[in-house]
Amino acid sequence: MTPQTAFDQYHQAVYSFAYRLTGRADVAEDIAQECFLALVRAPLRYDPSRGSMKVYLFSIVRNLALKRYRDGRAEQAMDGPEDLPAIDPRASLEASSAVAAAVAGLPQLQQEALILFQYEGATLEEIAQIVGTDVGTVKSRLHRARERLRRVLAAYGKVGSAHGTV
Amino acid sequence: MEPFDKDELSDRELDAILAAWESPPAPARLRAAVFPEASKPWWRALWSASIRVPVPVACFLVLALAFAAWRWFPPAAPRAVTKTVYRDRIVRAPADTAGSNSHQLQPVAELRVRIIRSRNAKN
Repeated sequence: MTPQTAFDQYHQAVYSFAYRLTGRADVAEDIAQECFLALVRAPLRYDPSRGSMKVYLFSIVRNLALKRYRDGRAEQAMDGPEDLPAIDPRASLEASSAVAAAVAGLPQLQQEALILFQYEGATLEEIAQIVGTDVGTVKSRLHRARERLRRVLAAYGKVGSAHGTV
Repeated sequence: MEPFDKDELSDRELDAILAAWESPPAPARLRAAVFPEASKPWWRALWSASIRVPVPVACFLVLALAFAAWRWFPPAAPRAVTKTVYRDRIVRAPADTAGSNSHQLQPVAELRVRIIRSRNAKN
């Protein structure tokens, strides 16, 4: 697969993944650009026997996002606080904003697992390859992420459904 | 007292809420940023093209060019001054300018006197 083909096929997915990881369109654009430039400059670094092109590109995006995350929030622990504050639906009635804030509040490792599974359609095996861990750990992170979101977004879901019925 | 109730969502409700978060489309300028040469006409790409040459190769090329230039275009030799001497030409100095040509008169190294008798001469 040539870099042009890979770009045509995956640039939207790469950009979306970067956008959801960072929460910023400009940073996502930079990361997506760096990702594909890395592929253009060294196409032979992609080894098809180690995974699909999608896995390879997502791994690059993850590393770039983690680097920016560490640069920006070096003082914060990767696993984050256990108890996240619930999102007040009265402050953010738009579902998109509420979900974005809730996902951004997840610990980094849970966040990337949830984004890859929920939004990018990656399988558990692909996620395990991208983040460099085993499938069991991915399952555990996904479960914890969903549990947190279930609690954090509970009130929103209630208000949202109430708004829908009014 | 909590500001709002914290009842947990079901899987289906959670999935429905999560689906509300959409990503914006990738900007169109991303392609031009990744493949700048493809978006420019070929002559502009050629104009701004560059090649990387290792320093030893560059040094060798410079020396080879200098040698070739010296070999095929040697430095010009001192220009030879050519004087055409007309041996059979007799330059007669005008009588009134004889003084000005006096520097051309040189003393005779050997004088051979040859007496030519005229046929009509009588002893």
